[in-house]
Amino acid sequence: MKVKTMNQVRYSCIFVIMIFLAGMTASSAPAETVDLDLARKTVKISTFYNGTTVRATGRLPAQADLLLEVSGPKKSVYLKVKGKVAGILWMNKTDVELENTPAVYMLYAPEGTLKNNLVRAETGVGYKALQDEVTLHPDSADKPFVFGEYIKLMEASGVYGFHEGSVRYGPVNEGRKEYTVTLDIPPKMTAGSYTVTALAVQGGKVLDQVQVPLAIELSGFPRFIADLAFNHSLLFGIMAVFIAVATGLIIGMIFKGGGGAH
Amino acid sequence: MVKRSLQRLEHVLLDEGKTIMLHMYLPIAGNSVNIFLILGLGVFVGLLSGVFGVGGGFLMTPLLMMFGIPPTVAAASDSNQIVGASTSGTLAHMRLGNVDVPMGVMLLIGGVAGGTVGVQIIKLLKAMGNADFLIAITYVIMLGGVGGYMFWESLQGLKTVKDPAEVTAVPVKEKTTQGKSFLQRLPFQYKFEKSGCEISMLLPLGFGVLVGILAAIMGVGGGFIMVPVMVYLLRMPMHVVVGTSLFQILFTCVNVTVMQAWSNHTVDFVLAVLLLLGSTIGAQMGTAVSKRLNADQLKIMLASLVLLVCVKMMAGLLLTPTIMVALKGGH
Repeated sequence: MKVKTMNQVRYSCIFVIMIFLAGMTASSAPAETVDLDLARKTVKISTFYNGTTVRATGRLPAQADLLLEVSGPKKSVYLKVKGKVAGILWMNKTDVELENTPAVYMLYAPEGTLKNNLVRAETGVGYKALQDEVTLHPDSADKPFVFGEYIKLMEASGVYGFHEGSVRYGPVNEGRKEYTVTLDIPPKMTAGSYTVTALAVQGGKVLDQVQVPLAIELSGFPRFIADLAFNHSLLFGIMAVFIAVATGLIIGMIFKGGGGAH
Repeated sequence: MVKRSLQRLEHVLLDEGKTIMLHMYLPIAGNSVNIFLILGLGVFVGLLSGVFGVGGGFLMTPLLMMFGIPPTVAAASDSNQIVGASTSGTLAHMRLGNVDVPMGVMLLIGGVAGGTVGVQIIKLLKAMGNADFLIAITYVIMLGGVGGYMFWESLQGLKTVKDPAEVTAVPVKEKTTQGKSFLQRLPFQYKFEKSGCEISMLLPLGFGVLVGILAAIMGVGGGFIMVPVMVYLLRMPMHVVVGTSLFQILFTCVNVTVMQAWSNHTVDFVLAVLLLLGSTIGAQMGTAVSKRLNADQLKIMLASLVLLVCVKMMAGLLLTPTIMVALKGGH
């Protein structure tokens, strides 16, 4: 009976210790993680669409910084590299291909990212990391130069960008802080599947990262037109001509009475 | 209900800065544009079309590219809008008796044949690897040559009008007589009544082929080459030149629109309709303006425009680019 009571006490103690350890693990793990929530996971492109914004929120360890990446879809890009012809004329000269290049790449980071060197090669984010993932054909071409110029081209069209100071932190609570980022969705981001990645970084290391898909879809009139243009192209071409001729005739008739000069 | 509709309209029309910013999404171009900007572009190019009888493709395509439209979509959608603008312009000029239909048909047949030959030449040049260089050089030489000659010639014309004594001094008759004797030797003589000349049908056909080849190489409708050809080589009256050129451009662009939509899916119908609304109104305004200007004034204005585009192209070739790569298919 005494032995039985002793065993019960022993098992109870082990159970309590296990519960305590489990609790310890449970309370320390979330402190190292980052989470991400998008205000909407699908953006609809309607007739009067001119780009939009999507609010990204979440929490991360208090001592870490947040880097937020929007990228995708990956494809091959065919470029012409400019060069001089006859010593004086600038022309599109050499053909190159950039394989595995994202159509969109935007990096959102807090104030002081560059000063504090947050975007390091080992974090796997930023233009340098992107350059390492891209393959250049022919490989005899100067990859850093070509990719650097390609980034300039994409930044000019608004689909590549580095937005320093765009991450805003909230109050710290239980070792974790809240963050808010307003993602810019330019109209040049076409319909497709994109990935939003939130990374908690500290001392050049990624503590944790999480990915959430973001879809951009055509809807209503733009969807109808795109469907007609790609799936019934001959009909679309003939229709475009008929509508153009009809518009020309109608406006011509309207001006007949009040043209003034004729 | 009405209040809600008004609120919705207000939301569409006004941005945060309370300025009118109505945008429209272009599903084929994959970008959105300001409606008023595109309408304005349409009016401007339509005005040129009505005044000079050129399609305006050599101006519209680069302008659209400046506003973020991919080059292939810009060129194809521009062809679509030219169909509407030239329908309106041709109709207006037909009412004024400015369209020589037989002449237009001959130029059109020649243009289509020349265009086919031109496309094969481009294929050959691309295989040899120097197509881009030859296209740019052809552009600069053609624009500079045509624009320079037109400018000089119409300047002489304006000077002559100012001084009536000089009018008699110009040996116009002698030139015409020499030309006629050469033309009369060619077979298939035909009297083009509206153009006021009796020439061989082979002549407009041949010029049509030549312009078609050049237009295919340069990637434009060819109006700005066709107009000088009709004025200086076929000796047609300026107002008939404008109407006939529009007639020929109409059919060329119908063909281009259908082919581009069918094979390349590059016609953005929404963009074309926006441009159309502007350009058809612009074309009517242009036709009215053209009647108020004399031939030399018209020619000197077109010459200045052509020279301006030529200078811009030269600058693009000579100045160091800010970005050293371009997407293939662009300029």
